[in-house]
Amino acid sequence: METVKEKKLIVTKIKEGTVIDRIPPGKAMKVLHVLGINENYPYTVALAMRVKSKKMQLKDIVKIKGKMLTPEESQKLSLIAPNAVVNIINDYKVEKKIVLEIPEQVSEIIRCLNPNCVTNNREPVSPIFSVVSKEPLILRCKYCDRLLEGQNLSEQL
Amino acid sequence: MKSTKFIFTTLNLSKEFLESIFTLASKIEQNLENYSDKCKGKILATLFFEPSTRTMLSFESAMLRLGGSILGFSSAKTSSLAKGETIADTLRMINGYADIAVIRHFLEGVGEIAKKYSSIPVISGGTGTQAHPTQAMLDLYTIKNAFGTIDGLKVALMGDLKYGRTIPSLLYGLAKYENVTVYLVSPKELKIRNHVRQRLKDFNLKFYEIDDVSQIIDELDVLYVTRIQKERFPDQLDYERLKSSYKISPSTLKDTKKSFILLHPLPRVDEITPEVDDLGCAKYFEQAKNGVYVRMAIILKLLGVE
Repeated sequence: METVKEKKLIVTKIKEGTVIDRIPPGKAMKVLHVLGINENYPYTVALAMRVKSKKMQLKDIVKIKGKMLTPEESQKLSLIAPNAVVNIINDYKVEKKIVLEIPEQVSEIIRCLNPNCVTNNREPVSPIFSVVSKEPLILRCKYCDRLLEGQNLSEQL
Repeated sequence: MKSTKFIFTTLNLSKEFLESIFTLASKIEQNLENYSDKCKGKILATLFFEPSTRTMLSFESAMLRLGGSILGFSSAKTSSLAKGETIADTLRMINGYADIAVIRHFLEGVGEIAKKYSSIPVISGGTGTQAHPTQAMLDLYTIKNAFGTIDGLKVALMGDLKYGRTIPSLLYGLAKYENVTVYLVSPKELKIRNHVRQRLKDFNLKFYEIDDVSQIIDELDVLYVTRIQKERFPDQLDYERLKSSYKISPSTLKDTKKSFILLHPLPRVDEITPEVDDLGCAKYFEQAKNGVYVRMAIILKLLGVE
C-alpha cells in the first residue's frame, strides 16, 4: 500500500487547472519550461518525477492550478511529451481529457534554422513544418525543405 | 490535369506535366515561326535579385520569340530590395505590371510567398541552393532528345552536389521516371544534403554515392558535371586537390558507351577541358540552346496559351 500512500501525498486535488499525466519520465521540468511555469507562477504547482505507472512503468506528472493550455502550448507539448494525457480540471472534477498526439503539421512554435529561409527574413510568413518522422522526431520546413531534427530541434522545445 | 501556375520545384511536377512540356518544346523547336505571336501583348517580368546570364537571357529570348515583351531588373542593387522591400510586396506590385514573372532570389522558400501573394503565374529562375526547376526541365529535355526516353537510364551527377541548386531539381525530376539509376559523384565535403537524400529515399530512386567517376564511366548514359566552387572551401589546399580529381578530359571519357552524353549547366571553369568540346558526346551548348524552347513551352503552358 506504499504506492497509494505516496500517490495521495503527491496528487492532492486542485479546484481548477490542468493535470498533465503520462509524461515520459524525466520530462516534467521541460514541460513546465515549455508552459512558461517558473518560480514566479502565483499558484500551486505539483511535479512528480519517475512515479510508478501501470502503462509506462515510470512516468512524470505535473499539476498546475489556474492554468489552461493554449493550442500553441498543446502543440509544443505534444512534441516533447507525445501520448501524455491532459486533464482539464473544473470544480475538482475532470472536465475534459485529451491525449496529446504529434500533429501532421507544426506551425508558428518552431523556427527554421536555415538563415536563408524566407521565414527568417522579414517576409510576411510564419514557419510551418511537416512531421517527417515521429520517432525520432524529424520536421521538414514547408518553405526551404530543410530538415530539423536531433539537438537542433530539442534545443527549441 | 490541374493547371500549374507556379513552378518553384520539380518535387511536385508529375511525369505527365514534364512530358507535356517536352512535347510542346519539341514542336516549338521544329517550327519556331509558328509561335512568334502567341504571346503578343503579354509581358514577362524578369526579377533577378542575383546575377544570371543564361537563365535570364534565355527567358527573355523565349518571351521575345513568342512575340511578348519583357521588363525587369538584374541586380538587387537596382531594385527596391536595396530599400528594404519584401519579396511579397515586390510580387504584389509586379502583378499590376506583367502577365507572368520569373524570379531569382538567394532566399529559399520564395515559391510559398509567390503562391500566397501573386495573382499571376511565377516561375523560379533559381532559388538559393534549393532549386532551379527550369534548368532541370531543360536538362531532362536534352536527355530525352538524345535517348528518346529517360526511363531506364544510368545518370551520374558529379561535382558540387551540396550547394549546386540544379542538383536537387534534376534529381527530383529524374525520380519521376521508371527504373533510373543515379550515381552521385562528389568529394565527401560536397555530398548531397540530408534533406535531399531523404527525398530520394521517399521517391524510391535507386542512387549510389561514390567519389570516383572512373568506377562507373563505362556504364553511364549521361554524365552531368557541375562546377566545384572555390569559395565553398575554407582550406584552399583542399580545393586545389579536389579540383583536379573532378576534371573531365578526353582521357576520362575513353571508355564511355557510344550513345553516352556529357552535360553541364554552365558556366564551366576548369571542370571540362576545352578539348572535350569537339567530342560528339559534349552536349552542353545544345543543352543551353534547349533552354529557350523549354522556357517558351513553360511560358505558354502557364499562360494557358497553346
